[in-house]
Amino acid sequence: MPTSPNSPNSPTAPRTSSDPSPDPSPDPSPDSSSTLSPDSSSDPPGESPKSPETTEASAAPEAADTSRTTHAPTRTGGSPVLPLLGRGMVAGALGGLAAGLFSLLLAEPLMDKAIRAEEARSHEHEPAGGAVQHHEELFSRSTQHAGLVIALVVAGLAIGVLFAVAYALVHRRDPRGNPWPRALAFCAAAFCAVSLFPALRYPAAPPGVGDAGTVGDRQEMWLGAVVIGVLGMFLVWQVYVRLAARPVPVRQCAVAVTAVAVLALLWALPDNPDPVPVSATLLWDFRMLSLASHVLLWAVFAGVFGGLGLRALRTREPVTSGAAGYGSTAPVS
Amino acid sequence: MSVTSAHSAPHSDTAAIQSATIETRDWLIAAAAAIVALIALYAVFMDNGSLISATGDYLHEFAHDGRHLFGAPCH
Repeated sequence: MPTSPNSPNSPTAPRTSSDPSPDPSPDPSPDSSSTLSPDSSSDPPGESPKSPETTEASAAPEAADTSRTTHAPTRTGGSPVLPLLGRGMVAGALGGLAAGLFSLLLAEPLMDKAIRAEEARSHEHEPAGGAVQHHEELFSRSTQHAGLVIALVVAGLAIGVLFAVAYALVHRRDPRGNPWPRALAFCAAAFCAVSLFPALRYPAAPPGVGDAGTVGDRQEMWLGAVVIGVLGMFLVWQVYVRLAARPVPVRQCAVAVTAVAVLALLWALPDNPDPVPVSATLLWDFRMLSLASHVLLWAVFAGVFGGLGLRALRTREPVTSGAAGYGSTAPVS
Repeated sequence: MSVTSAHSAPHSDTAAIQSATIETRDWLIAAAAAIVALIALYAVFMDNGSLISATGDYLHEFAHDGRHLFGAPCH
């Protein structure tokens, strides 16, 4: 089995089986590459030889002739990071919009209720007719309802940019893998890193919960949880990549143990100091809706990002490149 | 940064150099976009009136519900 590209200019040098890819999907290669490596069936998932890769220099001429993607300038080599950036922003905006509209319909009634309850509590404690200074004074509730959707769309756009850069970095050595399972796997990891893990440590709190005096401390803790989540998922990925030669059960168990260790590490952070003076029902409902909107954001994100990746692949690389099956019947395991 | 020479023979070194230059430029654009994205996330989820003094608490209050829903600390 050829294990390394023969020369930088060889357009048919297959990728080595040690190519570090967190992507558990073998690329469908209905071309001659399988005949070059008859022992590929013994490789663990994700390690089968990739489609013949062309170097960027030799890929440039044909790319200049054939690629007419929807993403602005015709790519003639270079890195695929800019098209990924575009896909990330579209996916992020749509994911944020979906999460925003979902919360507008389902979570806003709860938040309004929580704010009314908070005002009632404040009146009890300050019966002297002093106007309760709450944060509605700058904007009306309806403006804040719109602000919810806009904030989530902006956050989705920003998350999409960061996601695309990370995705491009992780897959830079093998930019031509099947984008659909990659997008799903990457989104699952990102969901754990920035949504699920921090939310398990510091669950969302409805309006009325949260002391203005501790907000700085709580921000540091929350940021710490996000950073631990992101670095932790990076560690999980590294474990998965570096154990590529081990049996699949060993590999998967190591990944699971690492993920649990990262989760446990979150409890090294201090507890949220604020009291939670709202009813348990409201709190539970709000936290479930918060988590649901996170899930919705990432689900829409994954679908759009992966789908745009498939579409770009079909547009750019017609049948000849071994990518013919990506759109419909690509195996994902 | 013309790309027209890419139509020439595939062996040329200029194509490789050009490709590397374009790649560098792409990554610089991506890095700039990532910085803008981080600032945007800070503005939405972390700002307490300190990002731009003129905005006061406006950013915070406008994104108030989004912060609560997303799980970001709020007052």
